[in-house]
Amino acid sequence: MDNIASLMHGFSVALTTHHILLMMAGVLLGILVGVLPGLGAPNGVSLMLPLTFTMDPVSAIILLTSLYWGALFGGSTTSILFNIPGEPSSVATTFDGHPMAKQGRATEALSFAFLSAGIGALAGVILITLLSGWVANFALRFSSPEYFAVYFMTFASFIGLGGASPFKAIVAMGVGFALASVGMDSVSGNIRLTFEFDVLLAGISFLIAVIGLFGIGELLLTMEEGLRFEGVAAKVRVRDVLRTAAKLPRYWLALLRSSAIGIWMGITPGGPTAASFMSYAMAKRSSRNPAKFGKGEPEGVIAPETADHAAGSAAMLPMLALGIPGSATAAVMMGGLMIWGLNPGPMLFIERPDFVWGLIASMYLGNVVAVVVVLATVPLFASILRIPFSIVAPLIVMICFIGAYTVASKEFDIWVALAFGIVGYVFKKLDYPIAPLILAMVIGDKAEDAFRQSMIFSQGSLSIFWSNPLVTTLMGIGLTLLLLPLIGSAVRTLRGRSVTVAAKG
Amino acid sequence: MITRFWAETATALVTLAFGLIVVWGAREFGIGWDSSGPQPGAFPFYTGALIAIASVGTLVVTFVQRWRGAAIVEEIFLDRERAGRVVAFFAPLVGFVLITAFAGMYVATIAYLLFAMRFQGGYGWLVSVASAVAAAFVFYVVFERFFQIGLLKGPVERLLGL
Repeated sequence: MDNIASLMHGFSVALTTHHILLMMAGVLLGILVGVLPGLGAPNGVSLMLPLTFTMDPVSAIILLTSLYWGALFGGSTTSILFNIPGEPSSVATTFDGHPMAKQGRATEALSFAFLSAGIGALAGVILITLLSGWVANFALRFSSPEYFAVYFMTFASFIGLGGASPFKAIVAMGVGFALASVGMDSVSGNIRLTFEFDVLLAGISFLIAVIGLFGIGELLLTMEEGLRFEGVAAKVRVRDVLRTAAKLPRYWLALLRSSAIGIWMGITPGGPTAASFMSYAMAKRSSRNPAKFGKGEPEGVIAPETADHAAGSAAMLPMLALGIPGSATAAVMMGGLMIWGLNPGPMLFIERPDFVWGLIASMYLGNVVAVVVVLATVPLFASILRIPFSIVAPLIVMICFIGAYTVASKEFDIWVALAFGIVGYVFKKLDYPIAPLILAMVIGDKAEDAFRQSMIFSQGSLSIFWSNPLVTTLMGIGLTLLLLPLIGSAVRTLRGRSVTVAAKG
Repeated sequence: MITRFWAETATALVTLAFGLIVVWGAREFGIGWDSSGPQPGAFPFYTGALIAIASVGTLVVTFVQRWRGAAIVEEIFLDRERAGRVVAFFAPLVGFVLITAFAGMYVATIAYLLFAMRFQGGYGWLVSVASAVAAAFVFYVVFERFFQIGLLKGPVERLLGL
């Protein structure tokens, strides 16, 4: 019951007027970035991050996590009303959400989406409450080789379970690692990979990469599609929301199953996007009348939404307890923690319990606040989308570049963001997964340090990764994840079938 | 019109080149093992090598797919209409970055929004100019005043004493 006591303490940290206001601000900004195509959760958080450098870490993380919840909700709003997913993770919500809206059941669809999303998120947060202390305790036994093994497992699972071509996952990841090693080497003090360009001395910030890859890249894709908003008007009345809420218990099985899928995909780095698709597919397969899916079946909204949010919040568990982010957004937040001078991982639970439990408590509150705020502001955000894209698109572009510049006040960074934009566009079109690239940029240095420290312990012998049962098990799982699907997909590719579901989000 | 085959091939060649550049750059600090484990260049060296090998892998897969006549490589990557839309969006965007670099972010903001609204959105001059100036003003208030973060400035901003 230690966790419960810590959680109560956390509530006392999180429950201040200042923090509640920050939550509301975060949620509103989040819905805004979620609603606007081209701006999503990872890059909303990236854009906000430089503005939080001067805040205290608890307030800053509350603002950023609330923004994250808001973005997840905002993405569903556009999916349902406009058939345009504001986020990759809400693509599956369009399948049944938009048909429902077109049949005049927009309020019902939105209420189902938000309420089930709230339940999914709560399931994720409860899991974090129960398990994070335990995982962190367990991880306290880790030293460098075990850490390297866990990093290895993370990347292996991206290659093995990502769904994209393993070669492409390796390229994306390698590019991330290479970019992370530009600049000062923290072990030897050498300046690496700068090719005598002074601008590269300080390295390349992952924030710039996120802004370029997710922001500019996504916008280019959106423009290519020739975007038009043909929305369904929605007025959300309290009575309709309550009536929908009363129907929700009927779908308890879908909620439970989707939460489980979401949590699993969030902890393993499958991410919210993969979770929502998987959950939708499972709901359809196990439904008594699968033919109704795609034509406005409420379960087709509930399943992906629950899983999406469960995955989104569960992704915070490995980030907090192990220092390994479960999604691109969690990676950005983890980068933020490091910039604020916190060291994500098990020691954080001992050094800064107020921060950790304040954050966990804020997730409960943040999601409740988010459900209320998002229901109240649907008409407002729907009307934002009626502003012509010839005004909105340039504004998004400007905000992205201003964001890139504010990271370090370097002119060079806006060129880097532009370059990443082109890379993001091409990579997305060709199904290169982007999340591993970001993850590698954020934890590349840590993975390298862990590896080199292990080598110092063992005087340069790789056998240290098989030196005790714990590290052997971790490396074993990593290798299995890496090799089994690799062989499988190689066989499939040679047979001419291709797998094109990329792991995004 | 570009088919996916050419897009895949070109991208893989670029990542291959990137991998080789990383390998080349890593050689500066020693890529071997010494008494304290790998030398500083080792990690980038193997990363670069991995990128290069995986790029070759993608090339092989792409060529095999083409040779077998798989449908996916013959898909259209970009046709004239879509390319037109991308360029219409991307060209002003590059213009914005160029103007930002040489004349500051505020001038670029006004120029970009003005251009997009007047010539792409079909708005009148008055509305376009007003919106563009308003956007620049809002950015100024939010960033410089509220968050105390200076944006990139050029000669015009200095002249105005911002």
